Amino acid sequence: MSRPGFVLEVDERTPALLMHEGEGFRLERLPLGSRVIYPPESLPALRDLDGEIRRALANPLGREPLHELIKAGMKLTIVFDDLSIPLPPMQTPDIRQRIIEHVLEIAAGKGVDDVELIAGNALHRRMTPAELKRTVGERVFRSFFPRHLRNHDAEDRGQLSVIGHTPHGEIVEINRRAAESDLIVYVNVSLTAMSGGPKSVSVGLASYRSLKHHHNVHTLRHSRSFNDPPNSAMHHSYDRMAGLLGDNLKIFQIETTVNNNTFPTQLNFLNKREWEWNLKDQATYLAVKRANDMLPPGRRRQIWHRTAAPYGVTSVTAGAPEEVHTVTMRNLLRQQLTELDGPSDIGIWGLPYICPYNVNSIMNPILVFSLGLGYFFNLYRGQPIVRKGGVAIFYHPVRNEFHPVHHPSYIDFFEEVLAETTDPVAIEAKFEEHFATDPWYTHLYRNSYAYHGVHPLYMWYWGAHALEHLGDVIFVGGDRKTTARMGFRTASTLDDALEMARERVGGSPSITYHHTPPLAMADVR
Amino acid sequence: MIRFTNALIRDMKTLSRGRDWRGRSRTPRSAVAHESDQQPREFPTGWARTVSAQRARKMLQRAVLTPLTWSQTNPEIQGLDHLDTVKGPVVFVANHTSHLDTPLIIGSLPKRFSDKLAVGAAADYFFDARWRAAITALVFNAFPVERHRSRRLRSLAPFLLAKGWSLLLFPEGTRSEDGWMSPLRLGAAHLCVSNKVPIVPVVLRGTYAAMPRGRNWPLPGRPRVVVRYGPALTPEDGEGARGFNLRVGQAIARLWAEEDLGWYKSLRAQAEGRLALPTGPEAVVTGPLAAPAPSTPPAKVVSWRRTWESTRPLAPRRRPSAWQDPD
Repeated sequence: MSRPGFVLEVDERTPALLMHEGEGFRLERLPLGSRVIYPPESLPALRDLDGEIRRALANPLGREPLHELIKAGMKLTIVFDDLSIPLPPMQTPDIRQRIIEHVLEIAAGKGVDDVELIAGNALHRRMTPAELKRTVGERVFRSFFPRHLRNHDAEDRGQLSVIGHTPHGEIVEINRRAAESDLIVYVNVSLTAMSGGPKSVSVGLASYRSLKHHHNVHTLRHSRSFNDPPNSAMHHSYDRMAGLLGDNLKIFQIETTVNNNTFPTQLNFLNKREWEWNLKDQATYLAVKRANDMLPPGRRRQIWHRTAAPYGVTSVTAGAPEEVHTVTMRNLLRQQLTELDGPSDIGIWGLPYICPYNVNSIMNPILVFSLGLGYFFNLYRGQPIVRKGGVAIFYHPVRNEFHPVHHPSYIDFFEEVLAETTDPVAIEAKFEEHFATDPWYTHLYRNSYAYHGVHPLYMWYWGAHALEHLGDVIFVGGDRKTTARMGFRTASTLDDALEMARERVGGSPSITYHHTPPLAMADVR
Repeated sequence: MIRFTNALIRDMKTLSRGRDWRGRSRTPRSAVAHESDQQPREFPTGWARTVSAQRARKMLQRAVLTPLTWSQTNPEIQGLDHLDTVKGPVVFVANHTSHLDTPLIIGSLPKRFSDKLAVGAAADYFFDARWRAAITALVFNAFPVERHRSRRLRSLAPFLLAKGWSLLLFPEGTRSEDGWMSPLRLGAAHLCVSNKVPIVPVVLRGTYAAMPRGRNWPLPGRPRVVVRYGPALTPEDGEGARGFNLRVGQAIARLWAEEDLGWYKSLRAQAEGRLALPTGPEAVVTGPLAAPAPSTPPAKVVSWRRTWESTRPLAPRRRPSAWQDPD
């Protein structure tokens, strides 16, 4: 029986608590009375995963069983989530591989010849052949790559198809192959409450023209939070688009959720509550911390990115996207939701080494911003864990380093745009079109392994709600110059950061530390 | 290298703050309700009662444990004569305030008892890590005692009694937080009633002041400690565990008071019903006999006053004078 999430109140018994800070971590003592949000303990994984997959495909929600939907001579497209989830990547075999293999077994049995597999990477960078192979497995890769296993290309005008316009005037444009298929099977891994559901096809296979309707400052400022779909303007837009897709396409959605086994057993102390660390955990902490701090940054990054999570799959649900997603959300929240009484003056987050956009890559300053003020700040339901005008304190070194292949437009965004303004509205108005249509960025997106030119702007919009909500942002241990470029302050220690925060929130502030990863979503009452 | 060492020391300091010498942290109050209900594996202790383990233990106790304890404290053993007529197996029942308690009792018992003694130790404390369990079992011949009823451990105590082992049990269940006693749990009395085994009450005084919770070594200066044995109590026919437990509690209260009042006055106080289990400054008669009766509800005192009283060093034992004190 897994223990539910809970909110710790720091007292004199509380040992130092773990904070992630990029490719490192530290123990930090929080002031007495601080609250700490802990996620529920890892749920037990499904024992007979293949049996569960077979059961889900044979008894879908709101759809005929898959073996009845698949017919000889049909055009079948299997779309799967790209490498941006789960984080860290899961140990092989990936759940997507296992599901795709089951789907293909049925398709082969029915005599389907026309099968295509597409990674739903939208404006993300293309997955390398090695990454594709890791995700779908050797057998699928060998059978379909490169001609029938590929990345979605959001800039291939000839391979995009307009489905129509929503009543709000939003254009729905997706991958032509998928649009022309008799059946789309979407294979998803839901890691956060924003993942999956109607978002899958309408975002994963979309073009910039289509994405810009929900990836903009206005929508993100009115998504409170984007992890709470009923209160997310972004999800309302997804839903409108999904409605249109549902009228025109047949989508068979297969969604999965994973438990909170985020770190492998040799780093088990990262999955545990600190006062429950035994001697082995403490010895491991000391050994890993010392070894990690001594390593050169490049080597350290390499090692962390080789770390795969031993996630256990907690649910497999198949059928019509909307009905499936209701069940998926229930399972996901069961694993991540922790109730919290009201916001506090100061919120603290330790930012880890990975976010959806730096798998096998570098966490550049813009990604640090989007992880902290975007993803982690928005891990709430109800209201943010920090009150309006409060202060956010993040732990991360925020080094001025970029991956030149993966994030070329990020470099220009950081050097040129942020030097001029950090206001998301001004950035959107003045720079978005240029970054979105720049032929060099487009070329790199299509032919190299670069994120789309507009992607760094989206990352900035991702934090638009937090920027509007917070009174100040302080990075503990952050590079002073880099952080200042983004409009934030740095502090050497938590004590300094709290002292700086007191200037804004008063002398005896309430503090909440969002202890994640493993992921915890705050249900703030 | 120096930087590495400094960083390691810094990390170790941060890590160890708030943890005890075994590296364990107390559960924060708000997390107590969320403690794990995972059942640790039961640690086998049968090997610690084999002939070779007994030999090793005898050597460790006589060559290391007892000399070390006696070198760091100034023990005074009283009432051993009560054991002369007692035949094993028996259950020694003592108050518990310090990690010194067990070594003092083991070191003060006659060999015929100490060589055949098994000590009940908290399963969740001493038997949660294998290395700790092994050391505890070897040195003290400890066996796990489940004190929170959080898991269904089959108690070894009846088995050990049947095999002729005397037992040392601390029926308060844990070391005292502030040096005063907690109510005695029924387990020891129930065991003795159901197995028709006598209990020998033992009271330790001064051990809390010498080495309270949180310390891993006695205070310097060889503080005085007293181990006082009482007469064995045998369950009477038809006597229930509750009644027997009450008698044991009264015997312990008298032994406790004997340190302050002397033997005869403590007997009189007991006969007049003015002694109760020493649960705090207001609930125990430690002063003149004219002190209020225990039926008076104990007044609430701030915690520092309780600790202050219990950490008061025992008065040095004066040599008995042939002449009556002028006062």
